Amino acid sequence: MSPLPDMNHEDHTMNDHEEASVSRNVRPWRRAVKAAGLLAGVAFLASCARNSPQDTWKPKGENAQKIDDLQRPVFLVAGIVGLIVVIAVSYAIFRFRDRGQAIPKQTHGKPALEIVLTIIPFVILATIGVFTARSIIDLADTDGCEMTVNVTGQQWWWEYDYPATPANQKWGIEKPIVTSGELVIPVGTCVLLRQTSRDVIHSYWIPALNGKKDAVPGRVHENKLHADEPGYYSGQCTEFCGLSHANMRQWAIALSAEDFAKWVEDQQRDVVAYAEDDTSPEAEGYRAFRQNCSRCHQVNGMKNADGTPTIAAPENNIVAGAAPNLTHIMSRSRFAGATYQLLNDKCNERLIKAASDQVGAIYLEGVDPDCLNRKDLEQWLRNSPEMKPMYVKPDEQGRLRGMPNLGLSEDQIDSIVTYLQTLK
Amino acid sequence: MTTAVADHGVGHDDHGHGGHGHTSTGLSNNKLAMWLFLGSECLLFGGLISTYMLYRGRHPKGPGPDQVFSIPFTSVSSFVLLMSSLTMVLAVSSAQAKDMQRTKLWLTVTALLGATFVGGQVFEFTEFYRKGLGFTTSLFGSSFYTLTGFHGVHVTVGIIMLMALVGMMKANRVPGDKSEVVELVGLYWHFVDVVWILIFTLVYLIPA
Amino acid sequence: MAIVEQPRTDIALPAGAGAPAVITPKEAKGMFARPVQPEGWRDWLFTVDHKKIGIMYGVASFVFFIIGGIEAGLIRLQLAAPNGKVLSADQYNQMFTMHATTMVFLFVMPMASAFANYFVPLQIGARDVAFPRINAFGLWTWLLGAIFVNLSWFLGGSADGGWFMYAPNSTRMFSPTNGVDFWALGLQITGIASLTSAINLIVTCINMRAPGMSLFKMPIFTWMIMVVQFLLVFAMPVITVALFLLSFSRSFGGAFFDVKQGADPLLWQHLFWIFGHPEVYILILPSFGIVSEVLPVFSRKPLFGYKFVAISGAAIGFVGWGVWAHHMFASGLGPISVLVFSMATMMIAVPTGVKIINWTMTMWGGKLTFTTAMLFSIGLIVEFTIGGLSGVTHAVAPSDTQQTDTYYIVAHFHYVLFGGAIFGLFAGFYYWWPKMFNRKLDERWGKANFWLMVIGMNMTFGPMHIIGLQGQPRRMYQFDEANVHTRFWNAVSSIGVIFLTLGILAFIVNIVITHRSKHPRYQTTLDPWDARSLEWMTTNPPKAHNFDAIPTVHELDEFFHRKYAEDHATGEIRQVATAEDIMAEQEAHAEKNIHLPSPSYWPLVVSFSLPIIGFGVIYNHILIAVGGVVAILGIFGWCMEPSVAPAEDYEPPAAPTDGATKELTA
Repeated sequence: MSPLPDMNHEDHTMNDHEEASVSRNVRPWRRAVKAAGLLAGVAFLASCARNSPQDTWKPKGENAQKIDDLQRPVFLVAGIVGLIVVIAVSYAIFRFRDRGQAIPKQTHGKPALEIVLTIIPFVILATIGVFTARSIIDLADTDGCEMTVNVTGQQWWWEYDYPATPANQKWGIEKPIVTSGELVIPVGTCVLLRQTSRDVIHSYWIPALNGKKDAVPGRVHENKLHADEPGYYSGQCTEFCGLSHANMRQWAIALSAEDFAKWVEDQQRDVVAYAEDDTSPEAEGYRAFRQNCSRCHQVNGMKNADGTPTIAAPENNIVAGAAPNLTHIMSRSRFAGATYQLLNDKCNERLIKAASDQVGAIYLEGVDPDCLNRKDLEQWLRNSPEMKPMYVKPDEQGRLRGMPNLGLSEDQIDSIVTYLQTLK
Repeated sequence: MTTAVADHGVGHDDHGHGGHGHTSTGLSNNKLAMWLFLGSECLLFGGLISTYMLYRGRHPKGPGPDQVFSIPFTSVSSFVLLMSSLTMVLAVSSAQAKDMQRTKLWLTVTALLGATFVGGQVFEFTEFYRKGLGFTTSLFGSSFYTLTGFHGVHVTVGIIMLMALVGMMKANRVPGDKSEVVELVGLYWHFVDVVWILIFTLVYLIPA
Repeated sequence: MAIVEQPRTDIALPAGAGAPAVITPKEAKGMFARPVQPEGWRDWLFTVDHKKIGIMYGVASFVFFIIGGIEAGLIRLQLAAPNGKVLSADQYNQMFTMHATTMVFLFVMPMASAFANYFVPLQIGARDVAFPRINAFGLWTWLLGAIFVNLSWFLGGSADGGWFMYAPNSTRMFSPTNGVDFWALGLQITGIASLTSAINLIVTCINMRAPGMSLFKMPIFTWMIMVVQFLLVFAMPVITVALFLLSFSRSFGGAFFDVKQGADPLLWQHLFWIFGHPEVYILILPSFGIVSEVLPVFSRKPLFGYKFVAISGAAIGFVGWGVWAHHMFASGLGPISVLVFSMATMMIAVPTGVKIINWTMTMWGGKLTFTTAMLFSIGLIVEFTIGGLSGVTHAVAPSDTQQTDTYYIVAHFHYVLFGGAIFGLFAGFYYWWPKMFNRKLDERWGKANFWLMVIGMNMTFGPMHIIGLQGQPRRMYQFDEANVHTRFWNAVSSIGVIFLTLGILAFIVNIVITHRSKHPRYQTTLDPWDARSLEWMTTNPPKAHNFDAIPTVHELDEFFHRKYAEDHATGEIRQVATAEDIMAEQEAHAEKNIHLPSPSYWPLVVSFSLPIIGFGVIYNHILIAVGGVVAILGIFGWCMEPSVAPAEDYEPPAAPTDGATKELTA
């Protein structure tokens, strides 16, 4: 190692250089501080200002409101603490930059100050903790729920089963209602969801009504929803569940008591069983459906050629062992894991933009022929895996995950669509 | 995992500015490393035992613990393994007394007792399999074989270490302090024994 | 295994004795001939020198940083607009799984290992780590494991279950390609590497400190590394169990996650997060250590509350074990568990807050110079604080049920890991580059690097807060504008990636320029930053044996206190010696006949056995036996070979006497 120039000299030149760079850096720092403040402000405004259906800060029900009441002050406190840190750091940067001052005293800190500065965050967090604890207990309490729905997730759609329990019978549910995609609930009521899954873990989440809760196979988790006013509330599966996780949607539709009663009544109706010699287009479609679709999809009231009830056997054909019950498909507004609209854009707009006193009536209209999104529905029948990625390779037992391309002819597709329109 | 075992067990000398007895704490590097490794192993067996405890009652298909376990047989093989800890202690004390003949003898006896235990386990596994408990039969089967299998592998690795140590002593090729190497293998061996006592109690003795 | 030896000495000669003596081994003892002093690439392949191993860790993990970055870029390209079509659902799922896996296990962890390997022995005044061959074994095992995981891209598709690989979605039924097998076995292999190097570094920190260096005189970086290694020792076995259960399920039909048999999918979640949460601190604490070195140097002041920072680091490490279930607030734990874990999570924010306060107080009253290393450190304080505070918002369990698995979480952990861990690592690059390579990275490019990365990260991850609060879940290959109204912010986020990319490019350009140019600007002095700790009390780069004379430590910040003294009368700090003076004194008292550990083939051989076993599990069980045989042979060879080549291996024998040394030189 060759002898190097005098250290003092080196030190000096370095400081000069740094000094220059410091003055150049003043502006970017100020900019950064501004940007950070701006960003926080924009984040706050943006998340309030826009009317996103899944906005987590727009509670529409008791439970979501409790969460919101808790999180707003926490965000505020976090924001203030963040600001204090940024201000302190910025001040230190400007105040203590090297202007040629002497090397500071080599102090290792002040224990008293350190203890105080430790106690402050502790106190803040302990305060938040008290309120958090109360909310956790509060939100877990499901005693007051007046209605129960069994919610089952599978790749990649949700099934809702309204059992005919004594509590549910008060709502007119005399025989189990099985539906999918859209959860219909009465307004102003605590609805208890008993969640599970048939394959992998899913998570049920309607941000406007409550936080999310996982649906875990082999376990039943309770979750409660409560909507303050009639409405059409959006949600998504939020636990990664494989290929088409992004296409696993759900909606909750809150209806007034009268509308809900009507919906319950409609849902309990069986379909018309067409005679085997009926040659109407609907009857043709009925038979085409029975031949091609009823292996997996149950339609209550459908009969085989010999007059016995047609019972779907998805357990033999589908990995999860279930496929959506289509008895009242045209009473819903979406299909295919609630990803695609059954309503065309115009009718869909009308539904989602409906005022809360209108939404029930519009929803109960179901899908009228002039409202049907025929294009997507036909395309789905033509080649569903293309519209929604699903594992197309069957497993060892020949079971599929999701609906395969059935190779239907255009005539069959037309015919089936005609039939489906009768399923209101 | 086995690599690490062997390395610490029959490991090399430490070095650097210190050498033996000159470390910052006065503890030997090798021993410290072995203790840390065993600490890590505690969590490994902790995880496996937890899995077993969660799943031991779940056997909708195939036999449950009561149908397959033969407590007297396993008690005997557990006793054999316990005895091997005693002979290991004797080996360590002989090594510290620089009596290499006896050390080799006790190490060999320890390895033989260990081998008897592993043999017993192999026999036991065959019996269980005959009674209808395969690895894939039930959650009980999967977690039982995984837990006891991992323990069996640990004993086997220990036997290999013991035999290798005897071989190296015969060839006079033990690097570094002989008694320390024996002690390190001993630490490992005792740990594996203690884990077995835990497994034997939790798996065999406490009913599901 | 006939290998032609390239003779050179293992014995570092006293300074001033001229070029190293050439000693030819007459007969290399051991099972096979050992590499005595290989040169060129073989030198790197068989080395056990902690500095070379550190550099190799660094280079390799930087390559994985680029790969992980490309994966991230593709993800953002896909999400730049609604209904993106760049990647298919399947490709996208693989992409985000591998992006996280790569960044966590193949970049941040090994990059921290790079710094730990290089600087821990130097900071504590040791000649090497406690077990140099295990160190080499750790490097090669990690690297081969990392390559193994990535080979799945070419062998039928990568893992597609997300980095926490929740069962049963990760079982063969739901993930039929071999991707998850490669993932599980590859991480098992890198886990072995982490475990062995953790044990090694703990022993090094505990046992190899220079005389006088008590635990509370240990530099804070070494402290943090030690805490991290303890976390690794106890966290790795837990993920090991989880990965075994997964591999056994997939490859041998184990029932562990088969719900039909009664399995509980939450078992995986608990095992994963008992590992996974300490893992978060494994990722962040090394960077905390780095900035805790950098801030005092460029503030000309000791770290404020050094003991507090050290203890709070240990406290984080300890409490970090009790908060794992905060990743599972929506998993359906009972309210009591949620309550307990929620409270514990809030409490862990306290020691973390202590660090932020202490760093700020370190700058307070200092004499600050804003080098790139300093800027990255200050950047860490600010960005990590943002990430930490968003962390507090989801320690509040009810509010977490609205946030978890949305982009808000993605924003949170990128602020913590990019703004925290990665900024810290970049501070380390700029700060220690002169020490490692005897060149000083260009400050102008460095500042471009810093500002581009600050703008890039805030632009990329800042909007994700909004995207998440608007309700967009993570891990979705497409987003639906009608549902979440996040088109604008997703576009902003994707544009941010351009700045990040330019920032990384500025760093690479900086390296190239620094090493190509002859301009004096890139030359460094012995002590370019007026640093404080022991690693600067030696040459740049350090000699193979690190220190000519092992320093005796009297103070925390020993090097600073040798250079400066406080005038008791005036309280003024005066310089009493230069780095060169201190170096010269060391050289004058150089220790003679330093025996360094010798290179070895065995770590590499044993490492190679592991991916062979991995392939065996996936493709053909015979390969498991082949790998096993290689491993046993390797370990046998390893055990039979002494760590330091014995003197009689050399011709003439390198007896540890002065006479012999002189003879050799002649």
